[in-house]
Amino acid sequence: MSVGHVARAIEESGIPTVTVMVKAFEHRASEFKIPRTLVVQHPMGRPLGAAFDKQRHRDVLNAAFDLLESAPHNGTVVELPDAYRPETHSGATAREER
Amino acid sequence: MDKPQPQESFEEFRQSFFYGRRGDLNFKFFKDLPDDDVASFIQIVLDRLGDAYDTGDVLPLIEAAFEAQVAGYAPDPGTSPKFFFDDGPFTPCEMSVTNARVGLLATSGHFVHGDDPEPFGEAAMTQAEAEARIGEFMSAAPVLSEIPSDTATPALRVRHGGYDIRSAVRDPNVAFPIDRLREARDDGRVGSLAETFFSFPGATAQGRLRKVLPGWVERIHDEDIDVMLLVPV
Repeated sequence: MSVGHVARAIEESGIPTVTVMVKAFEHRASEFKIPRTLVVQHPMGRPLGAAFDKQRHRDVLNAAFDLLESAPHNGTVVELPDAYRPETHSGATAREER
Repeated sequence: MDKPQPQESFEEFRQSFFYGRRGDLNFKFFKDLPDDDVASFIQIVLDRLGDAYDTGDVLPLIEAAFEAQVAGYAPDPGTSPKFFFDDGPFTPCEMSVTNARVGLLATSGHFVHGDDPEPFGEAAMTQAEAEARIGEFMSAAPVLSEIPSDTATPALRVRHGGYDIRSAVRDPNVAFPIDRLREARDDGRVGSLAETFFSFPGATAQGRLRKVLPGWVERIHDEDIDVMLLVPV
């Protein structure tokens, strides 16, 4: 819920926002009239994608930036169709554990 | 001889995943699903595990968990949401993001090593303690952590009593895409980055959040950003 209040306050202050939301919380977009929402089919806690799945992270960011530029009005929701994939399915070759 | 323990009902088993003795933040939504749905989920997972023994493919298991999670958090059609707005603000983005100065705010609970927000005055609170004290977090005002956008990724820490942080510990970019945004800047996908990014644990008192938000917005404007990426978890 927190992001709903945050998005509204920042947008109202004159800064365009885009929110990356996991599918489970998609309903928050309409409840809060979040300005622009990119819905991702990822599990909670991994809105950008799996750990070290750099390509998915980039795809999500690019879609979010596209939405920032293209959304015509408040409440615009776009869903990224790609299903979640864990690191072993992402083509990542090196773990970067620390 | 030990006294026999009362038999646990399936409902008690299901609810024990919500900060109970089997507390598991990936499956705390069991609390809000009917017994039959949780039973079906377990059956599906075990069946797909039977296939995974041979195939080694865990994707069908992950898909089952994802679908159950979406069902678990779906609003109950018989109840009204706690917050509902008829309309909302909209500020047109009148420039290409390739020329924009981009800010980041996540509700992920990240902070920089050495700059622990120390919730409730407690130094070095662990993730387990944060989960145990979720009720206190949900009634307290949130604290916004400032994270310089040139922070070395290994210096990031994360703590949040509301979600399983294991992925965010392995790779902060799953919820706080600091490396990906720096790469986007270096590749020319975005014009520049704010000097400071922000994060706070989104599991917080909503009324208190609304009270502190005007101050946060003022602070965000100091970053002179053109657009902002918001990442809830």
